[in-house]
Amino acid sequence: MAARTQDLPPKGGYAPINFTRIPARSYFSGYQLFAGYAVVTAFAGYVYFRTYRQIRNEEIEMRSGQMAIQPMLIAERDREFLKQMRRNRVEEEKLMSGVEGWEVGKFYSEPIYKTLPDNKFMDPIVQEFFAHGPSSAFSRKVLLPLTS
Amino acid sequence: MPRGTGLRMFTKDFELPTEEELTVQEVNVTTSSLRAGAFHLGKSCEKENHEFILCREEEKDPRKCLKEGKDVTSCALNFFRKVKKSCLEEFSQYAHCLDQSSKDLNYRYCRNTQAIFDKCVLENLNLERPEFGYFSRAQVIQTDRPKPEGYTSVEYPDAPPPIPEVDRPRAKYGLRNYWMT
Repeated sequence: MAARTQDLPPKGGYAPINFTRIPARSYFSGYQLFAGYAVVTAFAGYVYFRTYRQIRNEEIEMRSGQMAIQPMLIAERDREFLKQMRRNRVEEEKLMSGVEGWEVGKFYSEPIYKTLPDNKFMDPIVQEFFAHGPSSAFSRKVLLPLTS
Repeated sequence: MPRGTGLRMFTKDFELPTEEELTVQEVNVTTSSLRAGAFHLGKSCEKENHEFILCREEEKDPRKCLKEGKDVTSCALNFFRKVKKSCLEEFSQYAHCLDQSSKDLNYRYCRNTQAIFDKCVLENLNLERPEFGYFSRAQVIQTDRPKPEGYTSVEYPDAPPPIPEVDRPRAKYGLRNYWMT
């Protein structure tokens, strides 16, 4: 039977436990970080405001072009609007000719506006404009632009 | 009058112009061409446009501005006729560029063709492209148009009289917002 040996530390003791802190290598000091932040922000702001000015100028130019032709388009639209209004009135007269007590432009001789003179122009609601046309025209011109 | 009862039109007493009064030759060009000629058109028809828009804003009635509207349309037609006679190729090139370059007919992609068109218009029609933002600016116009019926100037008879000017002593303890002075 071999001699029993006690489990002991090696000769000269254990190696020292490594517990010293090794901080991550720092590339910049705090002041350098602040300075870098300032530089990056300033450059980004410069680029941002340059782009902002460019986009705004483009918008102004597009708007100017639109405004320059707007009177012509409105003039054309007004004429077509009045034409359609006359067509609508003729159509209503034809449609309601068999109805007793019906006056054109009124609802059984009850006017829309009580206090206004007859010849005063009030913008009609949009359903009036499309009243005698096909419903597809109303969908295309009124409902579709709401969704797009 | 409840909504949704249907037929509500202008009455017989309402004066609507006839079809013949409303029919004039319209400007029959596409959007890209309109956009291409917009700035020069706006400049050359400036007076007509101003008169028409003033009429629309004052009268609030499209029937009363038919003559002005016809003037606007005939002026625009004349402008496009003149462009067609002298600068058709440059104009079509510019309009084509606008049409093909972007979906919203942006002017920024067509500076080269625009410069060629501008030069041609300046030489032949003696029309300069107005400066940047010209049509987006509010403009004071001179017109002979009489004021509309029922026009009332803005006067307030019961406005309080203005505070009389007196020499007031300087504030003894300075101002509350001293840092702003």
